[in-house]
Amino acid sequence: MIEARSVWLRYTPNSGWVLRGASLRLAPGSIVALMGPNGSGKTSMLKVLAGLIKPGRGEVLYNGLNIWDMDDARRLEARRTAVYVAEKPVMVRGTVMDNLLLGLRLRGIDPQLAEKRVEWVVESLGLDSILDMNARSLSAGQAQIVSIARALVLGPKYLLLDEPFPHLDRARRRLLAGLLEELRSEGVAIAIAGHEEAYTLRLSDSIAWIESGIVTMQEPDSVLI
Amino acid sequence: MEDLVGVTARTLYISTTATLLAALWGIPIAYTIAWKRLHTLAAVFEALVGVPTVLIGLLLYLLLSKQGPLGGLNLLYTPTAIIIGEAILVTPLIVGASHRILKVSIDTYGELAASLGSSRIQAMTLALAESLPGLASSTAMAFSRAVGELGVALLVGGNLRGYTRTLSTSIALEVSMGEYGDAIKLGAVLLSLSLGFSIIARLLGDRVDRG
Repeated sequence: MIEARSVWLRYTPNSGWVLRGASLRLAPGSIVALMGPNGSGKTSMLKVLAGLIKPGRGEVLYNGLNIWDMDDARRLEARRTAVYVAEKPVMVRGTVMDNLLLGLRLRGIDPQLAEKRVEWVVESLGLDSILDMNARSLSAGQAQIVSIARALVLGPKYLLLDEPFPHLDRARRRLLAGLLEELRSEGVAIAIAGHEEAYTLRLSDSIAWIESGIVTMQEPDSVLI
Repeated sequence: MEDLVGVTARTLYISTTATLLAALWGIPIAYTIAWKRLHTLAAVFEALVGVPTVLIGLLLYLLLSKQGPLGGLNLLYTPTAIIIGEAILVTPLIVGASHRILKVSIDTYGELAASLGSSRIQAMTLALAESLPGLASSTAMAFSRAVGELGVALLVGGNLRGYTRTLSTSIALEVSMGEYGDAIKLGAVLLSLSLGFSIIARLLGDRVDRG
């Protein structure tokens, strides 16, 4: 389980707080929708959960241990259980396949050892036809799905998706939604930041509403109504 | 007029060496500034881009002259003196341009690498690798500045025929002698070198960038 507990965050000492005592818990086998207006702190909360940003105050717990109290090696090990996928996909130079294998390469894992996982991700998200394409020539939707696939190749326990649906066409949305449901059934904890898209709402077990850096939990039905 | 090929080759040797030296220390400085977000230092280097070349030439002349603190090295009026001067001249240019490129790259690729579970070193390496086309462009821009530089070459090179004469000092000499035709010919070569390198660097950078 990962949990942000009473987290306060600001990006510079003189700026305002982006997160103000915000708390959020991700339990295995669940999907949490993180919703709220633009600039409310959704992305910041996902990055804090992923261990990418150190909050000014509060704790980020991985299985009960604050990752910011850990030494570098243990923090890296903990961080590797969670993968954050940005709203704006970033592709490195090379083909789609090069990008899919980027995380494995960065972790020093031989791609052949993860061959089955890669094949499963490629097949599940229908990427076969674009594997040899230049990753920087992809459409926004294609790049979005490749960046999600790149995260899934790593087999994360916690998947933190920042607005994954808006750029995708209907077929890709359906594929991704099906895959997220499958991952949930396998015990993966998923957070989806977004607005009130039908897919995000339908998939979520609970909704964290964030506004002005404060999180309140709601039942999915209350948002639908 | 001195042999055109000889002057051009000497100019290329001096400018290329000076630019590579400046890149050798300028890019690591730029990387450190970008990684550690040393905004004030970045602003200092940006400001130093505007220092007049003749002033750098004068300072270097005072350092390298017989009475200067580095006079014992006997570097005044040698190609090495011009190389040192031009390297100092283009360092702020390389640091300033590279810093801007690396800053964006560290923000973008550094975060991507971290989000995929990389260590800090791997994130830094990825950010650097993805910046290479831009860094090559900034180095080419510095070369363009170095190749046409006059103040340093004249003051610490001395414009010695067959030894420290470069295209820019040759132009100055030809103009002073009223040989405008030769000056224009030398100017055309200088312009071709400057533009040619920039265009080639840009095209190569674009090609690498597209993957």
